[in-house]
Amino acid sequence: MPGEPAGYLLKFDPALLSSPVLTDSDRNCAMPTRFPNCVCRVGRVATLFAIAAIILVVTHAEAGAADQSERVSFTNDVVPVLTKSGCNMGACHAKANGGQKGFQLSLLGFEVADDFDSLVKEARGRRISLVQPGQSLVLLKGSGQMPHGGGVRLAKDSPGYQTIERWIEQGAVMDEPGGPVLASLQLQPEKGFLQRGQKQQLQLTAVYSDGKKRDVTGQALFESNDPAMAEVSDKGLVTIADIPGKVAVMVRYQGRVAVFNAAVPLGARVEKLPPVKNFIDEAVFANLKGLGIPPSPVCDDSTFLRRVTLDIAGRLPTQDETKAFLADKNPNRRETVVDDLLRSPDYADFFAAKWTAVLKNRRDDASDIVSNFAFHAWVRDSILANKPYDQFVRELLAATGTVIGNPPVAWYKRVKEPKNQIEDVAQLFLGVRMQCAQCHHHPFERWSQDDYYSLAAFFSQVGRKPSGTRGEDLIFHKRGMATATNIKSGAALKPVALGDAVPSIAADEDPRLKLADWMKSPKNPFFARALVNRYWKHFFQRGLIEPEDDIRDTNPPSNPELLAALEQHFIKSGFDLRGLVGVIVLSNAYQLSSVPNQENVGDRQNYSRYYPRRLPAEVLLDSIDQLAATQTDFANLPPGTRAVALPDNSYNRASPFLRVFGRPEGESVCECERVQSSSLAQSLHLVNAGDIKQKLASQTGRAQRLAKDKTPDEEKIRELYQVAFSREPKPDELKAAMEYLTEKRTDADGRPIDAQRAARENFQDLIWALMNTKEFLFNH
Amino acid sequence: MTAIFRKTTCFLASGILIFGLSSQVSGQSVGLPAPRLLTTTPMGGKVGGEVEIAITGDFLDDAGELIFSDSRIKATPKKDAEGKVVPDKYQVKIDKACPPGLYEARIMTRLGISSSRVFVVGTLDEILETKPNNTLASAIEMPVNSVCNGTVADRAIDFLAFQAKKGQRLIVDCATRGIDSKLNATVIIGDEAGRDLVVERRGGVLDFTAPKDGKYTIKIHELTFKGGPAFYYRLGLWEQKPGTPIERQATTRAVNAFSWPPEGLATAAATTEAEPNVAVSKIQKITLPADIGGSFFPAADVDVYEFNAKKGETWWVELASERLGRPTDASALVQKVVKSAEGEKLVDVLELTDIASPVKVSSNGYAYDGPPYNSGTSDFMGKLEIKEDGVYRLQVTDLFGGTRSDPANQYRLVIRKPEPDFALVSWAIHMELRNGDRNALSKPIALRGGATMALEVVAMRRDGFDGDINLTMTNLPRGVRATGLRIPAGKSYGLMLITADESAPRGYANATFTGTATMEGKPVSHPVHYASVAWPIPDSWGEIPSPRLVTDVPVSVSGIDKAPLTITAKSPKFEVKAGEKLTIPLVLTRRSDFSGDKIQVRSIGAGFDSGQRLDVSIKADTADVVLDLAKLKTPPGEYQVSFLGGAVAKYRHQPDAVAKAEATSQKQSLEVKQLEAEVKKLMDEAKAAPAEKKEQVQKTMASMNSRMKAATDALNVTKQQLKRATDAATPRDIADIVVCEPITIVVKPAEKK
Repeated sequence: MPGEPAGYLLKFDPALLSSPVLTDSDRNCAMPTRFPNCVCRVGRVATLFAIAAIILVVTHAEAGAADQSERVSFTNDVVPVLTKSGCNMGACHAKANGGQKGFQLSLLGFEVADDFDSLVKEARGRRISLVQPGQSLVLLKGSGQMPHGGGVRLAKDSPGYQTIERWIEQGAVMDEPGGPVLASLQLQPEKGFLQRGQKQQLQLTAVYSDGKKRDVTGQALFESNDPAMAEVSDKGLVTIADIPGKVAVMVRYQGRVAVFNAAVPLGARVEKLPPVKNFIDEAVFANLKGLGIPPSPVCDDSTFLRRVTLDIAGRLPTQDETKAFLADKNPNRRETVVDDLLRSPDYADFFAAKWTAVLKNRRDDASDIVSNFAFHAWVRDSILANKPYDQFVRELLAATGTVIGNPPVAWYKRVKEPKNQIEDVAQLFLGVRMQCAQCHHHPFERWSQDDYYSLAAFFSQVGRKPSGTRGEDLIFHKRGMATATNIKSGAALKPVALGDAVPSIAADEDPRLKLADWMKSPKNPFFARALVNRYWKHFFQRGLIEPEDDIRDTNPPSNPELLAALEQHFIKSGFDLRGLVGVIVLSNAYQLSSVPNQENVGDRQNYSRYYPRRLPAEVLLDSIDQLAATQTDFANLPPGTRAVALPDNSYNRASPFLRVFGRPEGESVCECERVQSSSLAQSLHLVNAGDIKQKLASQTGRAQRLAKDKTPDEEKIRELYQVAFSREPKPDELKAAMEYLTEKRTDADGRPIDAQRAARENFQDLIWALMNTKEFLFNH
Repeated sequence: MTAIFRKTTCFLASGILIFGLSSQVSGQSVGLPAPRLLTTTPMGGKVGGEVEIAITGDFLDDAGELIFSDSRIKATPKKDAEGKVVPDKYQVKIDKACPPGLYEARIMTRLGISSSRVFVVGTLDEILETKPNNTLASAIEMPVNSVCNGTVADRAIDFLAFQAKKGQRLIVDCATRGIDSKLNATVIIGDEAGRDLVVERRGGVLDFTAPKDGKYTIKIHELTFKGGPAFYYRLGLWEQKPGTPIERQATTRAVNAFSWPPEGLATAAATTEAEPNVAVSKIQKITLPADIGGSFFPAADVDVYEFNAKKGETWWVELASERLGRPTDASALVQKVVKSAEGEKLVDVLELTDIASPVKVSSNGYAYDGPPYNSGTSDFMGKLEIKEDGVYRLQVTDLFGGTRSDPANQYRLVIRKPEPDFALVSWAIHMELRNGDRNALSKPIALRGGATMALEVVAMRRDGFDGDINLTMTNLPRGVRATGLRIPAGKSYGLMLITADESAPRGYANATFTGTATMEGKPVSHPVHYASVAWPIPDSWGEIPSPRLVTDVPVSVSGIDKAPLTITAKSPKFEVKAGEKLTIPLVLTRRSDFSGDKIQVRSIGAGFDSGQRLDVSIKADTADVVLDLAKLKTPPGEYQVSFLGGAVAKYRHQPDAVAKAEATSQKQSLEVKQLEAEVKKLMDEAKAAPAEKKEQVQKTMASMNSRMKAATDALNVTKQQLKRATDAATPRDIADIVVCEPITIVVKPAEKK
């Protein structure tokens, strides 16, 4: 163990001083009118940066090189070199089932003893040459002196190479038991207020169990949570890009992690904020003010009605709804429409589609139909009845009985193995990804294999009996003490919920109920947070934590105050989902216009405006049907069934539309399975696919009806705009449409075509044109 | 063998094997035609009322009397204005004295008595869905306190509408599976615009309090939107006083309910569970014996009872909940309370879970691998032997009850001194074969002349009873006799064989089916409950059988149709010494052609139930089968034995209908020809007729043309009937069970050497 460095080598790097650190500080100082209170602070920060730069250069010189006279520790010196060099990455020698060329290392050096054996004892010890350390295979290959599939990882003159060489010279021995081990990490700075374009060098200090400290910046791994906002070099130099907001850099060293949080202000003047309607507005607008991002104004009624109807009910407002809402002078009309939408079966249908996909309601066999329909109906009815979220999750987690008698049992048909059950439960309901911890310590989380199997123990007493229905089991609680075996250590572990001990569980008690109890506890740090973040993303396109199901210390929220407030509101409401949606959509933050102003056009995470997004596949199909006044026929379902009410993925097979627009197959617990991006195939489909043409040309469709209708064309155009966009046509739009409708039409030979046919085709064209606008395809 | 051949060929598996099947068996079905009553519309009527019923079914040729399981319900064929019988329609009168509940309806046909369909007698006004009501606009108006008889169509939703006052408590209860329907109903109460307010999809009841005055809708559909005549319902809507318990519509009983209640159990429990009874301070103290009524409520309920017991005592602990029709899985744990200086400690003494079915139950795969009748249950029963004096705790839980909170999940817990006893259930035996055709599971006891039909009988033994159970069936139609193959000591399986003479006349009787055992030197008899499957299932891959108990055991004989094959022994009784071989000469009487050269049979009956296959040539008139008593190890005694096998008959359905139709056709053809000749003659006369007679001739011509048209129409109808009859009578390969009329074998002790 090298211990305290004997003496830092003082170096001064002029390049660092000429870096944008000072330049940006200067720039900040040059803006006293915008940041009148920041002048002194900025100046001090600049000074500090300069000092830090000097210190860091000192540190760099030392990095990785323990004193020549000190013994080299395998754990604390050699393994970090291997990690920093990428030797024990999952794609290299830490690859499962043998590593590379028979040389297996543990992922990121989590299993030091195994790594020592691999390096020193395996392959007849040929990886190490005690006689000629420089001829050790590990150095020859790592430095490229011998052919190496992974290329040069350790240049011969690098400190890492020298560390390993010295360790071999010293006998290539394992550390003595009881030696110092890494106790904690100290990152400097932990957070910062950085300007766009600014650079920030991070410094990581390892604190060992004997109290000694060492700079390990050079051996640490750095990763930005949003490379578009900030990049970080492998030496820990953070470079802020041009996007304002919050960004974090994760720093990993020897199985521990630290985080640098940076706030990047836009620095614009925020003179006017929309009225604060609730705690959401307080938090969002405070954040915008802090970052200097002026928000867009609150949207108009048409936009609001369309947006909120699409977001809550997964459909366009009807023409009658639009007319009534726009004519309503009641100041509470937005509250009224939200309340009405939240009590509608359409809300239940739309959110059931969201939940059943991530709960893997997937049809693999024709006989799955009963369980899939039953499960979907249970989710849908639960939402319709506004079942408290904790109760919903409890019924799912601890389901027992038959699928028909208790439909959440169907989840146990889809997710059969306890390890899959805990992985899905953790990711979906706790926002924690546990998959890695099954085989090794989580690479950037605190979860160990013991944590993984202790969580799996909650599902160890799930009993199954044949049900009489092919492929389905009866699920019951099997009496016995719940334990799960850590496959690595062989230890039988009792249930522990993500590091949080639960009271002892008797043999008669279903451990899953105890897990559900733990989840709904107001002190649970994951359960409510995961849900509010998931729902926030539903309405704002971007989660406060991204991805929404990857909540961890190293992935901080963009607005922690808002996330905490939402979490508390949700818990205090008794896990009221309808209430949560209501408070979100009635905030002015949600109701901001999607039209950017000059300043907030680049904002992608602070909700200074509504971020437009393409309608989901089912919603878009239903919207097209609504506009064309047609129906899509789905196998075995009553005519008129909306796509958003489809119970499982099986309908994707027969619907190119749903496939092209990314309706998920229920394969994954991640909402990312739903493809929300746009593609050429989607554009082509909307332009000329057979099903679209059929809808436009339907004999009972809107185009046919309008062509026959005797009402003035202006009225018909207004109807189309009200249905498609929930608004009246603008004068120029009306004029253009009128001109198109009254234009003389001729056939290929230039002869006038039949008036009725012309009218029909004109309306088809008009509907087609509206359907292909971004205003129609997007919620905005 | 080609893949196609493998796919389409049926192979008989272990139970009843048909030997020598070759390629001609492709397309083979299972079970000879049996009469089945499938629907009655409506499905019930009001006490003291009269209702017109339309029926549908399979093989209801020459349908005659519509018979109910209670004589207070009577049916007469409907007649039109001219007094002619309208096919498949009946007028049903329900006596005022007939109690509300479920009854069996059956129809007597050419092939005998049909399978049963539930007929409901209720107290509410009856409504019949008579027009499509698949939109909100076409919703059928339904008064409160009425029941609607309806049928859901494929991919459709039925709409009903009712008026309610604000605060009015209304119950919507939809009877479906409990009255033999295939409908897994989704029932939704919506507002006037049809927007869903509350939903029930698990067969539960909707307890609805109207939020305001106005019109409400009820939507009904199948869970997966299937539909058709088999997807019917009786939806009851009635007002319920606030705070009063709901009495739901009656339902049929599951097969495993045969074993509940134990003989002599009081209707109501002596003690009621007192919640909460899980905390140590509130544990419910009881004294043994005990009879407790409780419920698995609220969710994750644990009920703990504490009692004192003495060393050497034996108690039997039995609980019924699933057998009361509840979706529960009860479990019990008995623990001894051991107190010491450190405090109280509980030591496990006994754990009880399911009562297993005595016979293997079908896995509902493609191949038939056991009966679909589950005589086991998720309730429990077990013996508690007290090894030490002390305080004991019995805790009961519902292993399905972790998250469900339904006070209707009741149980009855009985702790009693040993009261040895038994309960019996029976059903028609099915062929074990690799074939998805399960139509024959829906099998009425409708015998063809010369046929023997086998019923499996399963016993649930209580409190250590392990003696013989003899089976008898009396009150049979003329020409029919029944022989029980007893359930031997310690076993749970026996058979009842019912044989009709070849010349037995058409007839029907409600039989008395009984099991008798000797206890403490006295005979003890119990009825054998009978079970059947509600619907024929042509493809087991797509549907799971729905068996239930039926309330009676009707036995009938066709009087017209004969069994394709009758196997009898030359003598009704044989003697043999233990350890020796016995040759039994069999006589085969064939009334049909058969596929293959031989069939395999096995001996059945206590002492001879070896499973060994014996070959019998199906071409010969006689065959010898040899029973090796050394291998069977049958001890001396008197036995009832039979032989059970299967054969593939080239069955012709109702061939006499072809001859009848042909004769009619010929007669009508002749009549048409005669009329043609007369018409021609009249035309000639008309041409030659003087003007003053023209009008008369024209009238005669018109009359003749009318007769001609009627005769031609009748001929066309007959030709269609002839085609149908010819198609039906075309030989079809049908595999079915062949059972030999039982014989008596007396096994004498072996001679001492």
